[in-house]
Amino acid sequence: VSAYRAIVIEHFRRPRNRAPLPQANRAAEGANPLCGDRIRIQLRVDDDTITDARFMADACALCIATASLLTEHVRGLSADAAAAIDGTWVRTSLEGDPPAGRARCAMLPVDTLRRAVRQAVT
Amino acid sequence: MSDSLIDALTKSDERHVVQATLVSASGSSSKKIGAKMLVGESGKLLGGVTIGGCVDAQVIEAGDEMIARGGRRLLDISLDDDEAWEIGLTCGGNIEVLVQRLAPSDQSDPLIAAYAAVRDALAHDRGVVVATPIDGAGGALTLDENGTSVGSLGDAGLDAEARAVAAEALRAGSRDATVTTPAGSRRIFFDRFAPATTLVIVGAGQIAMSLTAFARELDMRTIIVDGRERYATRDRFPLADSIRVGMPSEIVAAIAPSKRVAVILVSHDYKYELPVLRQLLRAPVGYIGMLGSKKRGEAVRGLLRDEGFTDEELGRIRTPIGLDLGGKSSPEVALSILAEVVAVRSGKRA
Repeated sequence: VSAYRAIVIEHFRRPRNRAPLPQANRAAEGANPLCGDRIRIQLRVDDDTITDARFMADACALCIATASLLTEHVRGLSADAAAAIDGTWVRTSLEGDPPAGRARCAMLPVDTLRRAVRQAVT
Repeated sequence: MSDSLIDALTKSDERHVVQATLVSASGSSSKKIGAKMLVGESGKLLGGVTIGGCVDAQVIEAGDEMIARGGRRLLDISLDDDEAWEIGLTCGGNIEVLVQRLAPSDQSDPLIAAYAAVRDALAHDRGVVVATPIDGAGGALTLDENGTSVGSLGDAGLDAEARAVAAEALRAGSRDATVTTPAGSRRIFFDRFAPATTLVIVGAGQIAMSLTAFARELDMRTIIVDGRERYATRDRFPLADSIRVGMPSEIVAAIAPSKRVAVILVSHDYKYELPVLRQLLRAPVGYIGMLGSKKRGEAVRGLLRDEGFTDEELGRIRTPIGLDLGGKSSPEVALSILAEVVAVRSGKRA
């Protein structure tokens, strides 16, 4: 089993931070319109530092694994640093490239996070 | 009586409508007690008290007479037929049909007032029983699942006894019963109206489209659930009662669970199946079915078992979904699913 596959399965079966965040002050939702992945990322940002990050998703294993890794990674980062996360981070964190045609599954949490850091909860 | 028949009656613009209700049956009768037919002044017919043929014809004939004459009458109809008996095609048995003329726009008519209470209860997803005398003076009394009661059978003692029987009918279904009070005995029909089954259909594909069409004929409500705006559209689902786009597990979790709710997973995608099933397996819904092979079903159960769901909880997932009718097309699969929902609802399938 490749490292990529082992990471995806591990984080899909035991996702970290998959829970609502009632104290969130930033949040965004994202969807892949054709495959149907849906995700909500909620953040607690205090003094420009992400102090908590959680997600809820009805999504495929790759999307959930990426969201799990991402919410672990962003704790302690500034909003700007979180917004700068890109596909390179995804490939590094997953220890491999998503299969052809699945990049959008992995990028959905990243794109949603970028919007979340700028979007105050009303 | 179905929602659509109650609607047709209470919204009818006809001056008079005759309502025929099957109140008792012995031998073979294919309809449930409480089955109804409406005969309009204009000749319109809706519903039926039997599966048709000569028996409904007799009821229509009596209805036509009563449109002119008014009142209430109990028809005692034999299902035996000498010629049919000879060739082995008789049903056999006896039925009683209560036939009464109603004025749909007359709110002082006790039964019309009772049906207003029925509509309100059904609109709020509650069951209700209407008690009407089969013999003697008229009247109508309702007992709602929420405990409220409106109307009267004309005597406080009779009303109290009738409410006790109605409470039983709420649970067990329509029935006729003789109610005895110091004032005497009366034969009363207790007509149970149950809210429609709600189909929560997860996955807005081809099978879902057929499900909404068939469900309409079965007086079932449909809620289409999907995360994809492009699939879950009014164009594709003109007959759906509700179309909800969002995170399917959250949408399903927000629907009040009851035994009248059937959840049908036809997304054929674990991204919806697993989170929706997590919400459902400990909720008191009446039916959970999931499209997929036995092997796929076992794989999904395996994943959920690892998360702590018990075998009993996982045993609630019906997969492969539907009765095995042999069909493969989307409408055929939809038909088999609804056949299973009906079988489970009527206790023919555990």
